[in-house]
Amino acid sequence: MWLPILGLIIGMAIGLLADIHIPAEYSNYLSLAVLAALDSLVGGIRAYLQNIYDETVFVSGFFFNILLAIGLAFIGVYIGVDLYLAAVFAFGFRLFQNMAIIRRILIAKWSFRKKNKNS
Amino acid sequence: MNQVMKHTRQGKVAKEVKANRVILSLVALVIGFLIVFSYRHTISEEEPATRNDREWARNIELHERLVEIEERNNELQRELIEKQRQIIALEFEIASEEEIFEEQARELETLRKYLGKVPVRGEGIIVSLDDSEYDPGADDINQFLVHEHHVLGVVNELFTAGAEAVAINGKRLTARSYIVCNGPVINVDGENFPAPFVIAAIGKAEVLEKALLIQGGIRDQLVDDNIVVIIEKKNEIIIDPVF
Repeated sequence: MWLPILGLIIGMAIGLLADIHIPAEYSNYLSLAVLAALDSLVGGIRAYLQNIYDETVFVSGFFFNILLAIGLAFIGVYIGVDLYLAAVFAFGFRLFQNMAIIRRILIAKWSFRKKNKNS
Repeated sequence: MNQVMKHTRQGKVAKEVKANRVILSLVALVIGFLIVFSYRHTISEEEPATRNDREWARNIELHERLVEIEERNNELQRELIEKQRQIIALEFEIASEEEIFEEQARELETLRKYLGKVPVRGEGIIVSLDDSEYDPGADDINQFLVHEHHVLGVVNELFTAGAEAVAINGKRLTARSYIVCNGPVINVDGENFPAPFVIAAIGKAEVLEKALLIQGGIRDQLVDDNIVVIIEKKNEIIIDPVF
């Protein structure tokens, strides 16, 4: 359990210390990448709670979603359609949906445990 | 050890999950990096806003300086206009002064002519006075000679008529000239001249001639005194200066 947290801390440290500057016009891609990563993460948590977690699916989805979102936005810029909005919408939608599912599962588990304790 | 931890903490669920910690760590690393980097990027993007503020201040400062410079420009332009007006006034002054100089130069020239300091050239007349033939019957020889007062009369008449320069036998007359009788000759400015006397005068030939030919004028008086008078108009006479 500690290794992923360590990885998180190291990633944060790299993000803090790395002196990388990206032009302002690419900030859309960055936010999209963050959104895709969060979506994948929440999706993974949900799958874990629903016992359908598959590491390959999670990891590949994690990176593939990021790349796909960025690629979509990139193409959108070149064909003059704000495709990144589609990605933001889809990821945001899925993010909330997954969050809702996680919440329901947690509530169900909690109430189940409570009932067990009571009975 | 990992297996043990999994079993103890996550129990049943963990069995079905083959969580590779390393890959999970990688994912966590990427997420951490992305979030923090995005956060930092957003912060650094806010900097241009502050820079904008600075630019705004700089803009205002530059604008103020521009206004200042423009005001200074206007001031200088007004000064320039004022100076140009002064220059024009000075030029007018100089022009009028030049006019005065010119007038004075012309006057000087005229005065020099009167003083006989410059050679004079122009139209004029030549008057020759000569003793008449001696008539043995006459009792006084003086009746036949040209006297200094005859010459004086002619010279005065010529000057009165507006002659600019007069010379007797080539001797230029000036304001200080004198003509005196010196026995058989006439002394002009210390130089003796015998008859005939050739008086050259520069001026308007017509006027000078008319002045001499007035009825009862100098010509008639000379003729009465038995003097041979020859009046000749000339287109060009040159009278040398006297020093």
